[in-house]
Amino acid sequence: MFKQMKNTLGSLMLIELLKGMAVTGRYFFARKITIQYPEERTPQSNRFRGLHALRRYPNGEERCIACKLCEAVCPAMAITIESEQRDDNTRRTTRYDIDLTKCIFCGLCEESCPVDSIVETRIFDYHGEQRGDLLYTKEMLLAVGDKHEKQIAADRAQDKNYR
Amino acid sequence: MSTLKSETKDSKPVMTDLKGQTLITLQTLKEDNPASLATYEKLGGYEQLKRLVTNKVKAVEVINQVKLSGLRGRGGAGFPTGLKWSFMPRYYDGTKYLVCNTDEGEPGTFKDRDIIRYNPHQLIEGMAIAAYTLGAGVGYNYIHGEIWREYEIFEAALAEARAAGYIGQNLFGTHFNFELYAVHGYGAYICGEETALIESIEGKKGQPRFKPPFPASYGVFGKPTNVNNTESFASIPWILQHGGQAFADLGVAGSGGSKLFSVSGHVEKPGNYEVNMGMPFTELLAMAGGIWKGRQLKAVIPGGPSTAVMPASAILDATMDYNGLSKAGSSLGAGSLIVMDETTCMVKTLKRLSYFFYEESCGQCTPCREGTGWVYRVIKRITEGNGKMEDLDLLTDVSNNISGRTICALGDAAATPVLSFIKHFRPEFEYYIQHGKSMVDGQ
Amino acid sequence: MLKIEIDGKPVEVDHGTTIIDAADKLGVAIPRFCYHKKLSVAANCRMCLVEVEKFGKPLPACATPVAEGMKIFTRSKAAVQAQQSVMEFLLINHPLDCPICDQGGECDLQDVAVGYGASGSRYTEEKRVVFNKNIGPLISTDMTRCIQCTRCVRFLKEVGGMQELGMVGRGEHAEITAYVDQSVNSELSGNIIDLCPVGALTNKPFRYSARSWELVRRPSIAPHDSMGSHIEVHVKDDKVMRVLPREKESINECWLSDRDRYSYEGLNSPDRLKVPMIKHHGEWQETDWKTALEYAAGQIKDITTEHGSDALGALVSPNSTMEEGYLIKELVHGLGCGNVDYRLRQTDFRLDGKRVGTPWMGCNIDEIEKLDRILLIGSNIRNEHPLLAQRFRKAVDNGAELSIISPLDNNPLMDIAHKIIVTPNDIVNVLAQILKAMSKLQKLSLCLPPQLSELLEQIHVRPNTEAMAESLVGLGETVNLIAPKVGIFLGNMALSAPRFTEMYSLAEAIGGVSGAKGGILPAAANSTGMHLLGVMPASTGMHARAMLEVPRKAYLLLNIEPELDCQHAALARSAMEKADCVVALTAYKSKALDHATVLLPIAPFTETSGTFMSMEGRIQSFKAVVKPLGECRPAWKVLRVLANTLGLQGFDFESSEEVKLKIFDGEKPSDFARSRLNNNMKELVEIETKIKSPGLQRVGEVPQYEADPIVRRSEPLRKTKYNIKRLVRLHPDEMRAYDLVEGDMVLVTQDKGSTVLPVRPDAHVAPGCVRVAAAHEDTLGLGDLMGDISIEKITQEQADVFKSKQMEAQN
Repeated sequence: MFKQMKNTLGSLMLIELLKGMAVTGRYFFARKITIQYPEERTPQSNRFRGLHALRRYPNGEERCIACKLCEAVCPAMAITIESEQRDDNTRRTTRYDIDLTKCIFCGLCEESCPVDSIVETRIFDYHGEQRGDLLYTKEMLLAVGDKHEKQIAADRAQDKNYR
Repeated sequence: MSTLKSETKDSKPVMTDLKGQTLITLQTLKEDNPASLATYEKLGGYEQLKRLVTNKVKAVEVINQVKLSGLRGRGGAGFPTGLKWSFMPRYYDGTKYLVCNTDEGEPGTFKDRDIIRYNPHQLIEGMAIAAYTLGAGVGYNYIHGEIWREYEIFEAALAEARAAGYIGQNLFGTHFNFELYAVHGYGAYICGEETALIESIEGKKGQPRFKPPFPASYGVFGKPTNVNNTESFASIPWILQHGGQAFADLGVAGSGGSKLFSVSGHVEKPGNYEVNMGMPFTELLAMAGGIWKGRQLKAVIPGGPSTAVMPASAILDATMDYNGLSKAGSSLGAGSLIVMDETTCMVKTLKRLSYFFYEESCGQCTPCREGTGWVYRVIKRITEGNGKMEDLDLLTDVSNNISGRTICALGDAAATPVLSFIKHFRPEFEYYIQHGKSMVDGQ
Repeated sequence: MLKIEIDGKPVEVDHGTTIIDAADKLGVAIPRFCYHKKLSVAANCRMCLVEVEKFGKPLPACATPVAEGMKIFTRSKAAVQAQQSVMEFLLINHPLDCPICDQGGECDLQDVAVGYGASGSRYTEEKRVVFNKNIGPLISTDMTRCIQCTRCVRFLKEVGGMQELGMVGRGEHAEITAYVDQSVNSELSGNIIDLCPVGALTNKPFRYSARSWELVRRPSIAPHDSMGSHIEVHVKDDKVMRVLPREKESINECWLSDRDRYSYEGLNSPDRLKVPMIKHHGEWQETDWKTALEYAAGQIKDITTEHGSDALGALVSPNSTMEEGYLIKELVHGLGCGNVDYRLRQTDFRLDGKRVGTPWMGCNIDEIEKLDRILLIGSNIRNEHPLLAQRFRKAVDNGAELSIISPLDNNPLMDIAHKIIVTPNDIVNVLAQILKAMSKLQKLSLCLPPQLSELLEQIHVRPNTEAMAESLVGLGETVNLIAPKVGIFLGNMALSAPRFTEMYSLAEAIGGVSGAKGGILPAAANSTGMHLLGVMPASTGMHARAMLEVPRKAYLLLNIEPELDCQHAALARSAMEKADCVVALTAYKSKALDHATVLLPIAPFTETSGTFMSMEGRIQSFKAVVKPLGECRPAWKVLRVLANTLGLQGFDFESSEEVKLKIFDGEKPSDFARSRLNNNMKELVEIETKIKSPGLQRVGEVPQYEADPIVRRSEPLRKTKYNIKRLVRLHPDEMRAYDLVEGDMVLVTQDKGSTVLPVRPDAHVAPGCVRVAAAHEDTLGLGDLMGDISIEKITQEQADVFKSKQMEAQN
């Protein structure tokens, strides 16, 4: 009986509403944490493991020497490499495919690479419109590397004492 | 002898001082035309050979005399010669070989060439006696590739001896045959190692063989072979002439006879000195005229670079014989004393020595092939002023890893100077590393 | 027996055993690089240092013989310290380029470094660099990686017979190199790749194409000579990437000939036929299996109905499997035809029907090295059986005396005690001389059949033949043997000679007199098996030669290129041209099959299962290692379906194993073979010892890298020095007689065919012989490999005219 009265009174005095408004009001004035993606982005670690890239040396020579350690270490078997002897007698890939639908972004490929060729960049928001689009070939991976080399190099430099 | 002025074969060398020396292997030096057959014959040469061969003296008697003499291998290892001879198989169906090792290529060693230069016939007689004793039909004298004149002198002496009937077929009208040939090497230090020398005689690349089998059972062309040093062979005629005991009495216990010491370095009168075993170092140094320019003695390498260096304090009390030097912390080696005065930089000296071993390693065994280069490069880096304190321990460790891990003794030989230099002169190395220059610079 | 202890485990070993052998016996692993069980001990890597009780310093296990009561510690502190220090030394100058090194993943140095290497290096000085050497098309070098173990040097000297590599320079400058500007030409050279414990010597054709861990290893049998070497085929994504030996002590030990190692490149050739093809109005058209088989069956049926079953002839490659041989024989017989044969390079068939059983080698391969006296007749052994030559070399090294009778004085890289170099026809006379000399020496003349005794009476024994005979009965240069183990073998040149019957009969007789083992060294992987199965003309049938001489209307070809694989190239070519129908089961779309009607793509040995029977009668089955390429099908399946399409009964096999079961009829294969292998003859054939040939005789051996369709297509093998330009080679005396100088053009004529080739003097050719190698485009116009031949000097202009005419004729 008493409880019912209290409820009725509370309703008449709009207490719930005010409580709700208080919450709203508190957050209205609080510091905003919402990120306006894609205009705004969360900060990333330099160790972020996103889309893969193949790097080149400053002289434009591709780093990858087709040692196939990444292929061997990949737990998801997402990497496929074929190699040959290039005309200048060096060991090079003729095919370097990463199936991003298989990839689990563990970073082992990057860790196993003796020449810092295959790396994982900060890019996470790539997409494909059909399944095949996520099968990245050597050319695509090199293109990613070429485009983001500055960032990649800076990230590695920052981390060099721990590697 | 010392201080040779003249170099031609037939002229008498101008001797300044033979006092205090016991001339055995170089006994002809007192005469005119020392290298000629006539001179040697005048001194009773080839008589022992003739006596043994014509009287058919038993081999065992000869070996017993050599054993009694206390003669130890003069090439550096100091293995008793008589004992070595007794290892040769006595009954063997086929040719046995005798090899004389005149491949003295170690820096500071120059005694064997003087024996050939001034007394080749005593060497030939010594080899012929050994051949008779051991039943060898063919002998080779392997002469170091960098000494040409001595090779020619020896060839000439061989021709003389052959013409006089001391080597060849049916000697002295008996069935004893002995053919002796001179083999001229190409100057590789490793060919002084007896098995590498044998390979070289066979016409192969001079690389040591794994032992066992020892040359006594598998030597030249796979046949039993006895290998001795030039000085050892040259001592044999004297021993048989005067008896083993007389030879032993010249020296001290454990080191019989006299020995040629090649004294080089910072002395007034560098040269070869044939003196009795057991002579105090100070006496030998005095014979060589003492340290030059009135300076102080710093260190001595008593037996060639493969023996340990001795600081002045240790060598001054030592006697020059096998036991005396090993007690003092080094060894007699081939008796090549390299004397260093107080201005010597031990770091640079070691660099030079380690370069020698780096250059002369045959390349067969891993530790020596790779290790000698490593050691040399580290020392070189130190002398260039880029040394680190850890380098000294590294050098010690690497040298210990080379030593005792190789087929032949070159590995040990390369390690010994490094270990002994760092042991005795560590402060000097540390100074060089810290200051980037030598402690003795400017002195 | 000596009792020793290794790491506390007691073991008993023979006198003279080394520590490493004892440890291997006990299963104690001692790291090693320079030691190899088949090579001499070098003791130079020092990796196998172990501690031995009472010895102050560590001893190399590979070179130290054990002594009674020896206590050896391989894992003690001192031993491990020594091993670790050696490892450090090995690594200081070794480039750490494992990621690009082909040896990575299968490298001894890598493996041992895991166990004994430190994680970091104390070496901060400059590393040594050694320039690479070009040692030929088969082996690529990376000499900076070399650790100077000298295994390759010792292999080429001791097993290969020719020291082609050596270590020059001293100390750190020591490097392995070939002679100046020379490559390694041994036909066993590939083995040094396996021997190399690091990546200094790697496989050139395979270079950088795969990593060892990607490869699936599948066992198989080598298909190019009749040794039956065990191989391991390395496969990636259904493609053969390389071939390695599989250890089999009694056959190939741990070696493999270059032919067996590198022939796989021919499997990946662009020439491979992938779909069935039918020739329609002179044009090749791709088709499906059903159409092709029905068309082939229809053609065969039409011709046999019209012209009689005899109008068909089947030529079978002796490199085909037993299953394939059996099925094609049954198929041809099923059609009522007896014309089937595998002896494509034989001219002399007079022994047919006179044999007791299947001819074979007469002993086991591993018995060769125990022989005391060996007689090789008409064999260029290094060319024919490269790896078998190594067994003979071992025998000679063990003190055997080798005698050779051959038209070619090729260096077998072993000491020859006696050799007689004569024309193929004169070999018969030489053999008769030997028989006479031996029967006299053995005082056995009475035991010979009267027919032979009479013949021998007219023979005059020459001194050199007598010396050879003396050697064979056991009289030696230094030691006389009371009961020597003698081996007599006939090689390829004897097998294809027109006087093979005489050679064989006399060799048999000599063998009888001397108590020798031996027989023929058949050329191809399954020659013995084909004979055992009876893939030969039925009593009324025609043999391979007759089928070409009297052209058939239809041919069924199994796995051959007729003009390259047959004795008489010109005959084979014209027979194919004249035939109405040629059904070829082939793995390659070859130029040699241009005149075929139907091409049925079959699977080569890597893509089919089957069975080979080696020269020593060993029956070895293998499975497919990869899927058939394209539409290729195993030949046994094709033959089965073809037989079904032809309406023949009894071809219901579901697998090659079922065919095999049927062949051996429930018997154990080895028992089956044992009861049928026999070199004896039922009766003596007529022997003519005085063969006067008016002119010159051809010596046309088949170069080892031209032996069969697969090898012919291996690019790396074609680049070796064995792939010589076709020349006419003559003894210098003959050159003078014909007024020729080196480089002259010569018109070579055999039967009606001729070709033009440059001439070169060659003192290794017997006088009276012309050496023109076979199985090549340039010599297709010629006839018998060992037949009569005439040469005529022509001018360069005439040669040009001849060549342009030839071109016109082809177009």
